[in-house]
Amino acid sequence: MNLLEISDLHVSYDGIKAVRGIDLSLEEGEIVSLIGANGAGKSTTLKAVCGITPVHSGSILFEGEDIRSIPPHMLVKRGISLVPEGRGLFGRSTVEENLKMGAYSRRDKGIADDLEKIYALFPRLLERRSQAAGTLSGGEQQMVSLGRALMARPRLLFLDEPSMGLAPIMVQKIFEIIRTVASTGMTILLVEQNAKIALSMSQRGYVMESGKITLSDASSALLENPQVKAAYLGQ
Amino acid sequence: MEIFLQQLVNGVVLGSIYALVALGYTLVYGIMGLINFAHGDVVMLGAMVTLAVVHLLSGSGLPGPMVAAIGVLAAIPACMMTGFLIERIAYRPLRSAPRLAPLITAIGVSMLLQNLAMMVWGREYLSFPQLLPAATYPIGGASISFIQIIIIVSSSLMMAGLSYLVKKTRLGNAMRATSQNPEVSALLGVNVNSIISVTFIIGSALAAVAGMMVSAYYGIAHYDMGFILGLKAFTAAVLGGIGNIEGAMVGGLLLGVIESMGAGYLGTLTGGAMGSNYQDVFAFFVLIVVLIFRPSGLLGERIGERP
Repeated sequence: MNLLEISDLHVSYDGIKAVRGIDLSLEEGEIVSLIGANGAGKSTTLKAVCGITPVHSGSILFEGEDIRSIPPHMLVKRGISLVPEGRGLFGRSTVEENLKMGAYSRRDKGIADDLEKIYALFPRLLERRSQAAGTLSGGEQQMVSLGRALMARPRLLFLDEPSMGLAPIMVQKIFEIIRTVASTGMTILLVEQNAKIALSMSQRGYVMESGKITLSDASSALLENPQVKAAYLGQ
Repeated sequence: MEIFLQQLVNGVVLGSIYALVALGYTLVYGIMGLINFAHGDVVMLGAMVTLAVVHLLSGSGLPGPMVAAIGVLAAIPACMMTGFLIERIAYRPLRSAPRLAPLITAIGVSMLLQNLAMMVWGREYLSFPQLLPAATYPIGGASISFIQIIIIVSSSLMMAGLSYLVKKTRLGNAMRATSQNPEVSALLGVNVNSIISVTFIIGSALAAVAGMMVSAYYGIAHYDMGFILGLKAFTAAVLGGIGNIEGAMVGGLLLGVIESMGAGYLGTLTGGAMGSNYQDVFAFFVLIVVLIFRPSGLLGERIGERP
């Protein structure tokens, strides 16, 4: 059974039909890219799955159960976490407060241990733990956002444009960390405009254009696909 | 010097009340960017419910302070429920409406509460009986009354409690997160609707106590007492930086002291041209000056951050 199974999903956003009948699935442990131009409907798809943007029609199954009627604040308990586009930090709260908010839905005793693990993964954040998150650099903010999502102990992680607005060296660094996270067996749906880096680390990829999935293949095949090369890889 | 000290005491008392009410404005603004103009009328309701209970117990032979305590303990849940219902009925349906809509609605709710209160308790000024001992204590040439001490101490305790709640508890973390980014907070598991409800409930509880304090202090209650008091408290919240909790406390105290000093010295300063009845003018003048030099308020930093 697929961990996530989206069928014939339609979503309207601000009166625009942003997602027009897409099918998308993720198996447990898979890393899948969703690439496409700005405005193709990638972020809207994620927001619809997370319950922030209302679904017009179609089904979204998580572990075989339809989650469309579950309010967004209940999804994180089920194991879905989103690293939002633009990072979505609490800028006036400290780094540590941001990370702890990631564990808001948890009641177990493991939170302090997990915080240590996040600091081990991002030693830079340990140095900055009591600094207001809004004062960090873009790359550091992305680390906080990623760390915060991991604090929820997700089983399915959505990453929305993690490379956006970052210097190339920082993009490399963030993706190195994403690889580390992926190596723990985490299921990841990676939404990116930077198709090259996304496809280079995922097993499969979907290409989205004007609200529809136009291509779906193994990432290695997409990297060689002439259409993809011309439109997204600048070759 | 005695006048200065006395006006300082009076100002701190008045300022404590302003601060409690200002917190209600600032909490709601911080969470949802709304100026809840009905908040002053929740204060009025607190005074009215307290007074109604006090009248009910007038023949019971219970000691005055206990009657006052029972009155306020009845007013708190009544105001909490009112605050909860106001948000649920009047504001929640307008959550995604243009910002002017909830603002107009807030003014409408304010008029509704005033008119309901007028129908229930009448148009007359109601006198609030003397329930606490009239004793006064000398401090450095000035004097402080028992009720003034009660007001300062209890409002300080409530403000300390609120600070603790907002800074140190799980609920407070969720409140601060929601005020910064409701959408992301929801994704992290925060039930934003409940947080907004709780915010209104907390603000209304503070309002209930403030209403009881102000009517017991001045010995009077009236159906439209919430209007000018609300306006002053809103001013205090803006003065301190709306959306900022410490700002509301500082702004409230400062406004109380400024007003009180104005009342004490305006006559002398203007050679008798302006008396203490101009104290409000003085308070608003200070507000204008502060806003010219610090448009986001004394401790504010977030104006312009919200869309």
